[in-house]
Amino acid sequence: MRFVPASTWAPRYVGSVVAYCWRCWRHRMMIWLATAVAVGAVLSLAVAAELFLVLASRSLAYQARTASEFQVFLSDGAQASQVSQLESQITDLPGVKSVSYRSKQQALAIARQDPTLARMAQYTQNNPFPASLVVQLADPAAASRVTAVAVKDPATDPQIPTSYTPGQGDKLSGFLSLARGLVVGIAVAALGVASLVAVVLLRSEIRARRPELRILVLVGTPRLVIRLPVLAEACSLAVAGSLLATLTLSAMGTRVVPVINSYLPFLQLGNPTNSMALLSVLTLASSVLTLGFCSLMVRLPR
Amino acid sequence: MPELARRFGGWYRKLGVPAPGSIQLRNVTAGYGGINVFSDLALDVRPGEFVYLVGPSGAGKSTLLKVLYGTVRPRRGSVFVDGVAVHRLHSWQTGKIRRRVGCIFQEFELLAHLTALENVLLPLQLAHPRIHDPQAYALDALELVGLKDKANEYPQTLSGGQQQRVAIARAIAHQPRILLADEPTGNVDSRTSSEIMELFHQLNELGGTVVMATHDEYVLSRFPARTIELQPGLLEAA
Repeated sequence: MRFVPASTWAPRYVGSVVAYCWRCWRHRMMIWLATAVAVGAVLSLAVAAELFLVLASRSLAYQARTASEFQVFLSDGAQASQVSQLESQITDLPGVKSVSYRSKQQALAIARQDPTLARMAQYTQNNPFPASLVVQLADPAAASRVTAVAVKDPATDPQIPTSYTPGQGDKLSGFLSLARGLVVGIAVAALGVASLVAVVLLRSEIRARRPELRILVLVGTPRLVIRLPVLAEACSLAVAGSLLATLTLSAMGTRVVPVINSYLPFLQLGNPTNSMALLSVLTLASSVLTLGFCSLMVRLPR
Repeated sequence: MPELARRFGGWYRKLGVPAPGSIQLRNVTAGYGGINVFSDLALDVRPGEFVYLVGPSGAGKSTLLKVLYGTVRPRRGSVFVDGVAVHRLHSWQTGKIRRRVGCIFQEFELLAHLTALENVLLPLQLAHPRIHDPQAYALDALELVGLKDKANEYPQTLSGGQQQRVAIARAIAHQPRILLADEPTGNVDSRTSSEIMELFHQLNELGGTVVMATHDEYVLSRFPARTIELQPGLLEAA
């Protein structure tokens, strides 16, 4: 019996295995197509929901950053020494990044730039905007500690001591965590459903090809080679499904999100390009890994 | 150990490892579920020997062959086939022994969507990638069983005897030292069964070890060889 060196047989063997995979796959093209569409539909729904959640979460994060500029309003009669003492007390609190003084004139100038306050700032005779201590918070939830110090201090405006209440800060912080949890939850659920659909296909393929697989096992074909068509089918399903999901994502990002941005500007969904690219890559990688793993879990005859 | 022994051919006896082409079973117990089909079985088949496994249905002939090619893992004992310790193989390693021996089954086990040539060629391509020009080996094997002219026909267009000969061609195409045949004449007429047996004896004369399970009295009388009789009474609870 004549043998050939590894340099010759290895590429020829790859060719034989690819031809074998193609032979297995071509008879099931229609079933594969239907499953790819089903997997694609599940992934499309998931990425569309995730796109909105990611954009909404990004918008919330921006608002949280804005909200983290927490203001302690000063009474008009506050002395400079009282203000400076309050400033140092707040600076020492945990969760506070920095504290700076904003005068009444500075507050008026900022109000003139703000579209919601500009009208009031333009027509007012006396400056209604109070001086304040602007506190940068590491987390909006730290506002409760600042408020506790501020309300007891005589330099603070007794009627409206702070720009928002600690309860509102906690709610904002909690909602951000919930949105992030939802993004992860939807991704996991979608991958679970897509895996189930693919596993049903793979198991039906194994069942349909059981006599053939049994014969191949009996004649000593390496199990990895027998598994390759199943693995290739699972990965091709993941790639095709992800491609469909990416097309859906692209349509949502280029058509739906701009429409929402123009009709509902307060939502501030922003530009989805970066989020779309990230979601596409993550969907492709996670679906290939998950479906590939599922295909390796399908049992072969002994 | 068998790999080492193979390199030092003459040392097999000293090392206590069965030689290539031989089969050795020691205290083998095997079965299914809660039943042992046979217990403490011992068997030695020398290289180049022709052995029949006989006995009524349920005696364990097929189970013994399945133990030899790794489909059934023995519960106890040691099994060496062509120098490979089959009893130590896990399910994912059984290809190791099946690539070394040739297996022939009563039900032919041919792939219906492949031609006779493809049925012989595919295992060569997938299980024996280092063989030079596998197509030539597949055609040689078909020629040896007298079916070269039927190479491009599908199994369903062939007679039972021809299908069994394609299965034999598949089993011998990689030139194994051992042939394991499970009732290869069970589904063919007497003329075809004579042709198949003549083929087995030719392969045996070429140096191959043949172990064949059968209960065909005609075959046993017409082609006499060493006979090992399995008794159904050996069945016992595990």
